[in-house]
Amino acid sequence: MDSLITAAARALAAGDPLGALKRVALRDDAPALALRGIAMAQIGDLVRATALLKSAARAFGRKEAVARARCVVAEAEIALVSRDLTWPAKALDAARATLEAHGDRINAAHARNVEVRRLLLIGRLDEAERMLATLDAAPLPPASRAAHELVVAGIAIRRLQTKSAREALTRARHAASEADIPALMAEVERASRLLITPAARLIARGEQRPLLLEEIEALPASGALVVDACRNIVRDARLAVPLATRPVLFALARALGEAWPGDVPRGVLIARAFRGKHADESHRARLRVEIGRLRAEIRTLADVKATKRGFALAPRRACEIAVLVPPVEEQHPAVLAFLADGESWSSSALAIALGASPRTVQRALEQLAAAGKVQSYGRGRARRWMTPPVPGFPTILLLPGALPGD
Amino acid sequence: MKRSAAEILREYGPFPGAEQVHGVSFDGRHVWFASGDKLNALDPASGETVRSIDVAAHAGTAFDGEHLFQIAEDRIQKIDPKTGRVLATIPAPGGGDSGLAWAEGTLWVGQYRDRKIHQIDPETGAILRTIESSRFVTGVTWVDGELWHATWEGDESDVRQIDPETGEVLEVLAMPADVGVSGLESDGGDQFFCGGGSSGKVRAIRRPR
Repeated sequence: MDSLITAAARALAAGDPLGALKRVALRDDAPALALRGIAMAQIGDLVRATALLKSAARAFGRKEAVARARCVVAEAEIALVSRDLTWPAKALDAARATLEAHGDRINAAHARNVEVRRLLLIGRLDEAERMLATLDAAPLPPASRAAHELVVAGIAIRRLQTKSAREALTRARHAASEADIPALMAEVERASRLLITPAARLIARGEQRPLLLEEIEALPASGALVVDACRNIVRDARLAVPLATRPVLFALARALGEAWPGDVPRGVLIARAFRGKHADESHRARLRVEIGRLRAEIRTLADVKATKRGFALAPRRACEIAVLVPPVEEQHPAVLAFLADGESWSSSALAIALGASPRTVQRALEQLAAAGKVQSYGRGRARRWMTPPVPGFPTILLLPGALPGD
Repeated sequence: MKRSAAEILREYGPFPGAEQVHGVSFDGRHVWFASGDKLNALDPASGETVRSIDVAAHAGTAFDGEHLFQIAEDRIQKIDPKTGRVLATIPAPGGGDSGLAWAEGTLWVGQYRDRKIHQIDPETGAILRTIESSRFVTGVTWVDGELWHATWEGDESDVRQIDPETGEVLEVLAMPADVGVSGLESDGGDQFFCGGGSSGKVRAIRRPR
């Protein structure tokens, strides 16, 4: 419709953002602003890109709803990639509805994909999964399809479903090579490495070995009783007892699990559970109480037997006890164990769950955030915490075209 | 002003390798349409594309009886349709050039978002005069002394005849919703050929008499 815009859009589609900019650098009409915004985003200047797309959306006329909606989707994707989670989700949803109403199926699907990625990023797995189910990926061009499959894989990995994760990653690899975008292919490879990188350590009969995601998934089915220090649960194939809210009980279970089939002296248990250096009579009394509580919690899975010098675990059904610990032991394992479910938490909910003071939890979260182990979004009471997203998260931009009638 | 719905007589395409149709023109036998990096000749009787010329083709196309004119980026190329060679280029009026037509020794260029039609000197590109429209201008064509142009704003598009002196709208043929006209050319008789933008189609509509 407009020669220079057409030429610039073609340059952009061919992966030449500088060529696109050259053609429309001096123009301030709506399509030129939109193209400049997308080109700037691809060059990596996300701040300038956002400003340009905003003014483009304003400059498009009343009748150019589709073009304006595409600007909004591009803006949302940039916000997502720059981890700006304050960006209004409602605007994205409205833009998607506009694109759908005008038959722009590709960009509507792209918008939906951005919405799902946002939910995954903020740790709303159930919602992300539900929305994913409504998304038809078929009309998507290869690049967006690859991004879509990465999201599917990301959810599967968080849910410890390695088979579906592997299948999604295979589809992602095909789509990425079809799209022929090196950055996207690298993204898929990075995500795929998670399946061949140890995700935890296994301690059994005094020996340690690294464990792949797949092996972690298979562990409960192997008939072993698993004391999982990544999520603070004790489980076998049939039953899981969460102890995340009972850090002392979990510490005891873990110490007993690590020593199995041997026993653990009282002094060691006291040191690990209460962090006490010397065991006096009051500690011994408290240990008896806590062992009694643990016994009640896990009674269907294992018995806790008294020995001459301390206690030992005796599994009811399982023939083996395995302790699962993170690849690297972290500070504040109890906090991380909660966040390991991949959902987002408020610090006050964490404090209640942990039975700790809000200040203590806040301090732990801040230390973990400084170490890059957790991240937050939102402010004040709305602030939520979660572990950084695992895979599935293309940082690459796959912005929609922003031309009217194009 | 007369207002009616455009009557679509026939649709051609989409054509393989041509994602978008920009300008259209007619040389008496074939419809030429610009598809980004090619000018393609379409036989309107059979609906087949019979040949193509590898040349940058981003917007309007015109035919002066001997040469093709094609807008690419910010210039207008003069092309020998027999050899496909670019014989000369002149600057386009600049910034958002859209439709192109030939009439009585001069070129007419639509400026999309500026809602203007410029008459320019085909030798130098100098602007001779400018007509204002009330809509975004895409294709432009002359037939029997009538100036017609296409408009496309968002999901609304029409083909309209305007008074070349005053710019007054004389007749409007409204396209169906979400059917856009990117390029326009008369066949000299009862039809207009319309480029369909990203639909990748060329449409023939009836010219009212």
